[in-house]
Amino acid sequence: MTRFPPTAALHALREAHPAPARPRVLLHLGTCGEAVGAPSAREALREVLGARAPWVVEAACDGACWAAPAATVVREGHVHRHPRLDDGGGDAVAACLDACCDAEGYAGTGERGLTARMGRNDGSLGDALAQGAYAAIAHAITRPAAETIEAIERARLTGRGGGHFPVPTKWKLVAAHGGEKWLLVNAEEGEPGVFKDRHLIEGDPHRLIEGILLACHATGVTRAVVYINGQARNARAAFERALADARAAGIVDGDALGRRIEAAIEVRSGAGGYVCGEESVIMNSVEGERPVPRYKPPFATDHGLFRWPTIINNAETLCAVTTVFDETPPPTKLIPLSGAVPRPGLYEVPVDGATTWAGVLAMAGASPGRASAVLLGGPSGRFVPPAEFDRPLEMRALGAGGAVVLPRDADIAKITRDLAAYNMRESCGECTPCREGTARLVELLADPGANRARIDEVIEVMTEASLCQLGGLAGRPVASALAEFPVAFE
Amino acid sequence: MTPAGRRNGNGRSEEDAALERARAAIDALPRRKDQLLPALQEAQHALGWVTREAIEHVHRHTRVPLSEIYATATAYSELRLEAPVPGRWHVCTGVSCDLAGAAALLEAAPERTARIDCQFLCALAPVVVDARERLFGRMTPEALRARLEAEAAAATPQPPVRRRARSGTRTRRRPS
Repeated sequence: MTRFPPTAALHALREAHPAPARPRVLLHLGTCGEAVGAPSAREALREVLGARAPWVVEAACDGACWAAPAATVVREGHVHRHPRLDDGGGDAVAACLDACCDAEGYAGTGERGLTARMGRNDGSLGDALAQGAYAAIAHAITRPAAETIEAIERARLTGRGGGHFPVPTKWKLVAAHGGEKWLLVNAEEGEPGVFKDRHLIEGDPHRLIEGILLACHATGVTRAVVYINGQARNARAAFERALADARAAGIVDGDALGRRIEAAIEVRSGAGGYVCGEESVIMNSVEGERPVPRYKPPFATDHGLFRWPTIINNAETLCAVTTVFDETPPPTKLIPLSGAVPRPGLYEVPVDGATTWAGVLAMAGASPGRASAVLLGGPSGRFVPPAEFDRPLEMRALGAGGAVVLPRDADIAKITRDLAAYNMRESCGECTPCREGTARLVELLADPGANRARIDEVIEVMTEASLCQLGGLAGRPVASALAEFPVAFE
Repeated sequence: MTPAGRRNGNGRSEEDAALERARAAIDALPRRKDQLLPALQEAQHALGWVTREAIEHVHRHTRVPLSEIYATATAYSELRLEAPVPGRWHVCTGVSCDLAGAAALLEAAPERTARIDCQFLCALAPVVVDARERLFGRMTPEALRARLEAEAAAATPQPPVRRRARSGTRTRRRPS
């Protein structure tokens, strides 16, 4: 939460939209829960709880996907997640409500930062407000716009979609323009292995709305398009519901925060395609053009959506903007972690500090000695070898954060070929280096020993000459696998 | 091009009704080029796939040339320009699902399943998608077969539908 006391306007908002009564049981449904039987678990839980069944309220996944279907008991002084309700556990939930429980808090991360409310609210505006929503914008709006950008500068916030471009630089470039200005929120998240924006939006949609309002306040942007992955239907529904609530409360298109912020927010759904995560591709998609990259320059900050100067930020970036007024602001990074770990899920970890891959693996219950590598960044990524597990995580090196832990017996050559084949399928064909290069790479990987020199050449051309980063990074996992795990290809 | 729609008994009228719904949804959108993808998505939502008739209607409504609509529609992996195979399930073959046994799922029901790229539910691998695009995580070959059998039993009017437990969700824990 922000370190500033609530403004009068925020106080009035909280009074008008009170927090739901406690105690209660948050049943984590959402995309994760629904995929592993949470709706059936809900019925079983209601039966066990009897008269207290109405205490069960629906929430989204809180990032502990491994625990799904799960429920969290929230009562005075006690917050406790009960995992795997498909294996029973209703009685433990009931005992926990009766205060017969001495377990401590949550497992994993997310007590602060941008996942603090994720999946820990019932989706209502009142619950979000009680947990700190709109506190940052309520404070920022009482101050000059430049102060918001200064706070982001102090927090050293960079783009969390993978590019890690400094956020204040981009915002200032657009703020300097007169006339109409746009914001494009990239929640396309089409990178295999990544599921962070979907969690953030499903589990805490008001945070993204607040981030959008902060961008509008700081830069004079008045139009925003939120482009959400086509398969993240629950995320879109949660966002639209939250937006309707925020509008009805006068937070969006009103003066409930003390002063009106012009923000016409429109939601669009993607329709698949890895290349659609690329920012200029999204602009084409929104405009009804074929989804292929644009040449740069001109940059979006000068000539973006519908030719207006446009800020393009990842959803995680805008959510992180809401934390820059916190006591301990970022840098944290969301890491969607899957593969050979006992507790796969979404982890928010502090980076550019002491945290290492070994630490992340330990959080997920895995022993670093049992992993052969961490595939970081999927088809655009690299294989992090065990030798690097003890080095501190660097924000710039994390890309979008998607991490798959590979077990000791993983077939790294097969994974590399699969990633190369994926890039070939997903290449949009707009530029020759990527269209031809991704296909050549697949062919050459049939015999990497004999073709090593040509593989390096093809990768060099793709890296240097591709129109966008799909082609630019398509050779990266191949080069990384050949360098770090040459034995796998013999 | 003949639309190979869902035709059975009175299928034609069902299809006409769906096309009417698609047209109404498309007509509700502003007549601008930037509504091209939303219009195609409305068509797929109403019809199950993007038919030639729907594309022609999108063309009339948005005034985008047919050739451009095809160029755009074919670029999106989630837009279907052919009728989906009835009852076809998909097995995610992203890296995490592959590690967790996607190949065994495909082998468990080769005639009912096809592979599909990452479904972004990696923490609940392996993942399958049913014919109604619902996701199921932590799937096992046995649970998948049971679900497919239950679906087939429910689709045929007789014998009486067997109610199966939601066994697909009670599966082994993943190795550490």
